[in-house]
Amino acid sequence: MRSYLSYFKLKFITGLQYRAAALAGMSTQLFFGFMYISIYIAFYESGSSNLPMKLDELINYIWITQSFFMLIYAWYKDEEIINMIKNGNIAYELLKPQDLYLMWLHKILGERLSQTILRVLPVILIALILPKPYTLSLKTTLPALTISLIALLLAILLMGVLVTLYHVICMFTLDEKGIIAIIMVAADILSGLVVPIPFFPKYLQNINNFLPFRYISDFPIRLYIGNIPLSEGIISIIVQIVWIIILFALGKILANIAIKKATIQGG
Amino acid sequence: MSLYFKYFKVHLKSELEYKTSFILSFIAQLFTLFSYYFTIICLFNQFSNIKGFTMYDVLLTFGIIQFGFAFCETFFRGIDKFDTLIIEGNFDRLLLRPRNILFQLFCDKLSLIKASKVIETIIVLIIAILNIEVNWNGYRIMTLIFMLFSAIIIFLAILIASASYCFLTIKGLEVRNVLTDGCKDMAQYPIGIFKKGFINFFTFIVPMGLVNYYPFLFLLGKSNNKLLCFCPLLTILYLIPAIWLFYRGLKRYSSIGS
Repeated sequence: MRSYLSYFKLKFITGLQYRAAALAGMSTQLFFGFMYISIYIAFYESGSSNLPMKLDELINYIWITQSFFMLIYAWYKDEEIINMIKNGNIAYELLKPQDLYLMWLHKILGERLSQTILRVLPVILIALILPKPYTLSLKTTLPALTISLIALLLAILLMGVLVTLYHVICMFTLDEKGIIAIIMVAADILSGLVVPIPFFPKYLQNINNFLPFRYISDFPIRLYIGNIPLSEGIISIIVQIVWIIILFALGKILANIAIKKATIQGG
Repeated sequence: MSLYFKYFKVHLKSELEYKTSFILSFIAQLFTLFSYYFTIICLFNQFSNIKGFTMYDVLLTFGIIQFGFAFCETFFRGIDKFDTLIIEGNFDRLLLRPRNILFQLFCDKLSLIKASKVIETIIVLIIAILNIEVNWNGYRIMTLIFMLFSAIIIFLAILIASASYCFLTIKGLEVRNVLTDGCKDMAQYPIGIFKKGFINFFTFIVPMGLVNYYPFLFLLGKSNNKLLCFCPLLTILYLIPAIWLFYRGLKRYSSIGS
């Protein structure tokens, strides 16, 4: 277990070195947050009734997704691992006495957490001091805060097992562009980062409840901003745990099969 | 021009070497654009209009902007991926050849996978044109063609300008994506829906408004000023500073090749 944690730490510390990239990323996030809000404000000003989200809820939703963006977006791929699979260096990984799957999982979690940590606070702080209507408000109740923090922690794990699964599939397809790209785009839409899920057509929302994607970003964030009632939150936390177990098991089994028939690319 | 087609044929052949990979990537590209389309459909499911523009109006502006971008991505890929050329030192190779450097950049890479996006945007445009409420006449058809043309020009100018920025920074930073992707995402909507500051930005600094808003007002009959019909052509002027910047950067360029 200790050795896996050191992979996590290694990636985490390396990630913290890229501060210029983080600064650029931060401005990207701010710009996109600003942009989405402008579009939604134009929509809301055009008037419509029975909207699934209030404008201030939506603005909070956008700022929180933007600040945690590096942690929750679903089309992430670790270039290092993909290259390893493609150019055959995976052979070195297989020589190590550790489990390949757990090793990748820790690397991915470490990398993404380090990228997030550098961005979360600045984005949130700037969003807090923006003039109305763009401003973010962090008002919440203690129970909502506690439960959504638990949900966020589980969401990070869920993201980790899902993303690791892409890389395991990549061991079969040897290419990250085809099928994996399609899954990634689907995951991106269904996790609610493109349009918040309450705006989806009803039937799609129903299907989506049975898929893992919305439990990564949509659920913890909407729980926090008060768009999902707490009672529903507790059921969804159970669903999160179930999905973590399923995707973890699936990834691990597939990884074992892949290792058995692994062909080493290149020479 | 015939040289460009020769390059084109070579790239086409090389991409078709890997057939399954080509087909799958081609489909995957369709999906990436789909998420934008999905956003618009979802939002207009809830809202009947955005500042007086209907869904088909927005689909038209969306189609025009995405068409321009996808066109540049497909046929002028080399300039889009300029930073890798510089990093790998391959740019020096181009400098040795006795042809115009910008032209060579256009030909350097072609991505037919991205052509799926061009096709997809054309389908969106057809859907929009069939459903939009416009009294078509000669002027309006001309406006539409000008708008499509200027969409290509403006993204070309942005790509050239950001390529010249690579001379300074070597690596294309994420900031560049803010300019290309961010402007593209916003300009999917007629820019008149935004607040004053944004409208000024998109009129004078990155003139997306000339592509999809001012002529669009004429197209929809919201304005009768026939001059608006020609304003997309003003984007050609925007190429001048972009090309000037590029050549200035080129003068300062010292190879970093390996």
